[in-house]
Amino acid sequence: MLRWKYSRPLLAALLVALALAPMFTSLPLGKPGLQQTLAVAFIWGALALTYDLLFGFTGLLSFGHALYFATGVYVSCILINHEIVSWWLAAIIATVASGVLAALVGAASLRTTGITFAMVTLAFGEAGHVIVGRNFFNLTGGENGIALNADFVPQFWIGVVNTKYIYWTALLALIITYLVIWWVTESSAGRVFAALRDNEQRVQVLGLDTQKFKLLSFVISGTLAGMLGFVMLIAAGSAAPRFAESSVTIALLLMVVIGGAVTRWGAVLGGIFYSFASTRMQDLTQQESFKSIPEWIGGPIAEPALLLGLIFIFIVMFAPGGLSGAYYRLRMKALARKHS
Amino acid sequence: MDTFILIGITGIGLGALYFLVASGLSLIYGLMGVLNFAHGSFLTVGAFVGYWVATRLGPETTMTDFILAMIVGGLAAGLFALMIEQLLITRLYDRHIDQALVTVGVSLVVGAVLGGWFGNDLIMFPTPLWFLTAVNVGGAMIPADRIVYIATAVLLLIANWALLKFTRIGLIIRAGVENRNMVNALGINVRRAFSTVFFLGGFAAGVGGVLVSVYSNGVSPLIAGSYLIYGFIVVVIGGMGSVPGSFLAAMLIGVIRQFANYYVTGLGDFVVVILLAGVLLIRPQGLLGKVRA
Repeated sequence: MLRWKYSRPLLAALLVALALAPMFTSLPLGKPGLQQTLAVAFIWGALALTYDLLFGFTGLLSFGHALYFATGVYVSCILINHEIVSWWLAAIIATVASGVLAALVGAASLRTTGITFAMVTLAFGEAGHVIVGRNFFNLTGGENGIALNADFVPQFWIGVVNTKYIYWTALLALIITYLVIWWVTESSAGRVFAALRDNEQRVQVLGLDTQKFKLLSFVISGTLAGMLGFVMLIAAGSAAPRFAESSVTIALLLMVVIGGAVTRWGAVLGGIFYSFASTRMQDLTQQESFKSIPEWIGGPIAEPALLLGLIFIFIVMFAPGGLSGAYYRLRMKALARKHS
Repeated sequence: MDTFILIGITGIGLGALYFLVASGLSLIYGLMGVLNFAHGSFLTVGAFVGYWVATRLGPETTMTDFILAMIVGGLAAGLFALMIEQLLITRLYDRHIDQALVTVGVSLVVGAVLGGWFGNDLIMFPTPLWFLTAVNVGGAMIPADRIVYIATAVLLLIANWALLKFTRIGLIIRAGVENRNMVNALGINVRRAFSTVFFLGGFAAGVGGVLVSVYSNGVSPLIAGSYLIYGFIVVVIGGMGSVPGSFLAAMLIGVIRQFANYYVTGLGDFVVVILLAGVLLIRPQGLLGKVRA
């Protein structure tokens, strides 16, 4: 893979800037509104990265990734609200529970491959959504979801003045996810994942248990998604069925494809862009100048899915590799010119 | 006994709706290897066009008006499917993952456009008065609309079977599902079979869309969601590329879901997923599916 040799100092500088910015109340990032938007965007960026591990690095097209994320959200919320364990233990249990669920579902659905695998994971994910919506034993609160009881989590996460702590938590979660995925994909297991994606038969011929490695990738990805579920619970303040919808997984797929798979930073950027764009588009269409556009054009444009869907189709058809792919292509060209 | 018959027939009626969605999905997948996420949009397009026709045809919707709405809705969805296939799918020849991704994009765009135009709330679908009556079947009073679902599904199954069995294009489709490379190697253009399958799949989904909007008491861009997912489950359980398999699986799932829901509310969806997991463990190729070489 082509690497950007200036990336590390620049990345470090960007991270320091992002971490310090909320301290200065005169900057846009000093305002709670933008902090909240970015905190959610960071979580989506991290979640897109866990999906990239499956889809980009291992070549597994799962449509049920929302299941593990939602498990993280709901399990931690239920444990905290019922005062069963303290918040940090709840976060750990929720993360482990997501991993265990991923192992079980993965073991069944990895018996199929390719497109069938996509359908099967979709069905399991949807079952999760249905269970959450049905409110069994009064645990999940049905369609309304459950609000996080603010008394049982540290007070620095509660209230608008403290939004910057949520922002920092989300940023930290993104960095942790990035480091874990970086470590996994650069490890020898990560090489096997890539090999599975490129040529499964060849891996089999080498005598490796392909199912085991696929399951490993599936479980790592699901576990991380569960951890991010806890962080989302802190950021959103409630557990809602929308976190379990199949549209979450589809959004993740869009993020990874728009940002570009297999580059890590592409998925993160795609996730942040997607989340940020969906939130900001809604604000934009509420403005007065927007009212002058005729209803039959303005109506559809007000739905963020239109623009994102069109960008997505364009990238799949004409620009495979997304944003990061385009960047690397440009750099390749520049390099070729320099050496010719 | 009455409740038993009522739940059974309601389940078959629901299964009929699943079949209308799944038959197209199954053929499209079997022949082209395309996981079609846009199938839900075909259903919605059919539902909205059918709604438009039904409201145009006068204040009192008669049975003929309704059938006309179904046919026009089906045709519109079929043409829309054909357009998507020509514009997007054929350009991504044999890039299966990208084809699936593009159909995801289509479903988002169609959802956004319809949502922007009509809003996401249910709009009443005009139905013939006869739909509101009940028919006596073996002592059980069955809502009349269920009979229409079942009749339509059976009719489409027979038409599908006849087309696949007795026409040349049907022969090519069947051969293509079996072994596409071989059909290509024999110098037969499979492209036309692709378009036919997309049109037929779109048509069935569009007709299904009109019926689904009767079943869910109205049209909205969101009605397709659960039917698409059930369609996928039906296809996996029935076996990819097998239309009779889809029919069998759809009926099975409809009935099992209805019965489970009758005894414990909300249990139905859960039982279906367990069934799916069971079929995958015991027969990964589905009930009537062939083992892939």
